[in-house]
Amino acid sequence: MILFLQIIWRNSVGGDLLQGTVELMVLKALSLEAMHGWGIGQRLDQMSGEVFQLPHGSLYPALQRMLRKGSIRSEWRTTENNRRARYYVITPAGRRQLQDEIKSWRRASTALNTILAQ
Amino acid sequence: MSLRTDLSERWRALFRRERADQELDDELSFHIDQDVAARVARGANPDAARRDAMIALGGVSQVTQEVREARGVGPLEDLAADIRHAFRLIRANPMFAITVIVVLGGALGAATGVFAVADSSLFSDSRYGVSGRLVRIYESNSPANRFALSSADALALLEQQRTFDAIGFVRRGDVALVGAGAPERAVAAWATSGFFAAVDARASTGRVITRADELDSAPPVVVVSHALALERFGDASVVGRDLVADGVHHTIVGVLPPAVAELGGIRSRIWLPLKIATPHRRGPFWLRGIGRLRPGVSIDMAARDLATISQRLFPIWASSFRDQSAAMTPFSLRDTILGDAPKRIALFGAAVSLVWLIALANVATLTLVRASARDQELAIRLAVGATRGRVARLLVTDSLLLTTIAGLVGLTLATLIVPFARIVAAELPHIADASVGGRTVLFAAAATIVSGILITVPALVAGLGRARPLRVDSRRVGRDLRTSRLRAVLVSAEFALALPLVASAFWFVQTIWRLQSIDPGFAVAGAVTLNVQLTGPRYTEGKARAAFWQRLDDRARSLPGVTAVGYGGSIPPDDPDDVNNFDLVDRPARGGAEPTAPWNVISSGFLEALGVRLVDGRDFTAAEYASGSENALVSASWARHYFPGESALGRKMVSGGCTTCPPTEVVGVVSDVKYQGLDGNSDAVYQISNPANATSSRLVARTSISEDETIRALANTVHSIDADVLVEASTFRARLGDALTQPKHWTALVGSFAAAAGTLAALGLFGLMSYIVRQQRRDIGVRLALGATPQAMTWMVVRRGVRYALAGSCIGVALAIIAGRWLSTSSFGIQSASGLVIVAIAAALMAVAALASWWPGYQAAHIPTLEAMSVE
Repeated sequence: MILFLQIIWRNSVGGDLLQGTVELMVLKALSLEAMHGWGIGQRLDQMSGEVFQLPHGSLYPALQRMLRKGSIRSEWRTTENNRRARYYVITPAGRRQLQDEIKSWRRASTALNTILAQ
Repeated sequence: MSLRTDLSERWRALFRRERADQELDDELSFHIDQDVAARVARGANPDAARRDAMIALGGVSQVTQEVREARGVGPLEDLAADIRHAFRLIRANPMFAITVIVVLGGALGAATGVFAVADSSLFSDSRYGVSGRLVRIYESNSPANRFALSSADALALLEQQRTFDAIGFVRRGDVALVGAGAPERAVAAWATSGFFAAVDARASTGRVITRADELDSAPPVVVVSHALALERFGDASVVGRDLVADGVHHTIVGVLPPAVAELGGIRSRIWLPLKIATPHRRGPFWLRGIGRLRPGVSIDMAARDLATISQRLFPIWASSFRDQSAAMTPFSLRDTILGDAPKRIALFGAAVSLVWLIALANVATLTLVRASARDQELAIRLAVGATRGRVARLLVTDSLLLTTIAGLVGLTLATLIVPFARIVAAELPHIADASVGGRTVLFAAAATIVSGILITVPALVAGLGRARPLRVDSRRVGRDLRTSRLRAVLVSAEFALALPLVASAFWFVQTIWRLQSIDPGFAVAGAVTLNVQLTGPRYTEGKARAAFWQRLDDRARSLPGVTAVGYGGSIPPDDPDDVNNFDLVDRPARGGAEPTAPWNVISSGFLEALGVRLVDGRDFTAAEYASGSENALVSASWARHYFPGESALGRKMVSGGCTTCPPTEVVGVVSDVKYQGLDGNSDAVYQISNPANATSSRLVARTSISEDETIRALANTVHSIDADVLVEASTFRARLGDALTQPKHWTALVGSFAAAAGTLAALGLFGLMSYIVRQQRRDIGVRLALGATPQAMTWMVVRRGVRYALAGSCIGVALAIIAGRWLSTSSFGIQSASGLVIVAIAAALMAVAALASWWPGYQAAHIPTLEAMSVE
């Protein structure tokens, strides 16, 4: 029973810095246009100037979590090469979340820069 | 996180799992194709591109698993998977599953059955009134002697009491019913309106008895039970219909609710108004008083209130009742109904708990072995990434599934045990109402869950399912040693728990032997008894009653084969209802604690019919028998008890607290007869009484021909005088048998628990020794190859098995001593729970242990050496 509770605890409360960062980047990418998983991966690599080497596999669990949060939704569309692919679309709630997180990220990074500049 | 999207995603994940998995599959293969295409476009070789794409993604199955976890239904999915897995395991090893279900199901069934009985008898407090405020009021003149109330008592109570919210009176009897349905004699109760108020009884249709019904002028009415209405009228809406009871037309005014089979401890299907007439004397004492204490009034306060009323009442009736020491006294109704039932039920609770624990230990050893057999599988699970918690949950789910099935089996079993218990333990109060209800189901569920957890604990303690390097080597000696040690502890515990049970069963059997060898004090062969009860309005006249008894006496004496006939108030061996207090003139009791003895009022012929001999002094003379006398006969035991080493003849005593009556003088001493059960003492005092005025009497007769024939002839004689008189006949042989029925039932119950416990312990040991022999196959093979004799191997195994049993039995002896102490202080008639028995039983258990280890030992001796050594 205790083990059981621990597992639930870890799943609901856990969530580290990296996870938050990935979500922020995905939201940023999707704020421009709807994209499929592979596309998002390519965009993240580009956006970060290949500083982060994010294993693309970890993208999908993150997308699943974001679906549950309601910050994105998904739909099946046809690509320009005429293949069916799952596209992810940012929701209004996702845009609000993006704005909030950008603000708090900026505040944090300003604070950090100030500290480092001293 | 929006709750709606979260739930809908979880919902999708849980119930559209296959579709979601399919979509994920499509999505990932699209991802890889896309990645490969991009790499090829950059000039890579297609095969290398595919491999790189896979590596970049990080493994399809791993991603799939992570996404599934992210769906947030992991624990539930895991549970479903675990249950499926557990079912597969059952299919793979049905013998294990069957053993667990049978052993645990049996134990849970017995435990649930005992709970259902205990629940109906002890815990259903609603039957005893709001928070135990219901009391029964007795007349009591010494702690050992209490009797019913009289009309004078009842009227005084109604008028003067200040401590009860409601107080009422009731008496039991039976009535002849004719009219709708077959004619029958039915148990009936006559009760005042206050009785219904005190026990808070209401009718489901119509009304209960009211004060107006108690008036002499009131028309005859009756309240019936739901069961009677259905049985006789086929319908519960019978208010207003006519019921002929004892030849009088009664109007049914109410029907009790279906669940109400008894009120205030009285089981009756017919309730008539009790009309208390203005008394002419203090007695007879024939009413049960039931009262509900006012809130905040203690039973002691009520006792003082009642004592004051008794004191006021005494002088008014001093001419007809001279026992000043008798006072009305309240006793908790719950206690008076339950008697010693709580102790009896506690015994079975304890016995069934022991069996349950033994069953748990037994099943735990089995799960331990199975878990250790699955060690390799669990190690692989851990190696490929299962968490420890996940593996622990797998084991727990596995046990819980089996125990749940066992629990259901147990519940089914309990529904069979309860009707059986109604027969076997018929003397327990409310046993007739015992059933498997909501609380019993809850109990079974709780016991099942606790069992499921407990049988898993040893497997977890043994450190199974702990992360460690995978080993190809299957000789996991260290771990096996630990498992074996735990099993040995469990098996020893089984012996420790079985010993007190087996010893208790033996004490019960010993008690039966002892009771059977007790001389009841009367000549059993040829003695019969008839309980005769006059009914109907014809016998309201004293003359009519006297005439009936005289005619019966005359005609019975002239029946063929009958050599003696007499009437008596008490009939041996277990009819202690007539008990009287007395005070020896030579040795007065101090502080009002007068001794009591069975006080049998007899007519001429009674002693002769029972074969009671005169030991000293004289019998009553014919003149005394004819016209009455203050003289008394006492039993030899009474004489020894009160005048050890002296003659009791000529001694005088004040009986029944009547100091103004002429004292009773002992004129003769007769042989001992048991009136207070076979286990009771043989004290008795006899005085003369002719049944002239009684409405019921007990006739005893001695016959030189067949007892059954004489009983038939006597019953016919009664009915030839009046066909409506009630007769209940039995031989003394049957009465003696009846006296042993109850101890025999208890013995059978304890015995079956003990048998189950012993068998389980033996099987547990057998399993353990077989397992050890299998584990050590190689070692034993080597020893045999090196020249050890097969006998030595057998003995090695047997010695080890007996050692485990011995270790357990040492604790068992201590437990048995405690059990013995407790049993000999309770009302089971167990006198000497001797230590010798415990030692003998322990030795017997050692023999069983040796037997249980012998077969594994025999197998060890016959291990083919070469094969054993080349196995691994």
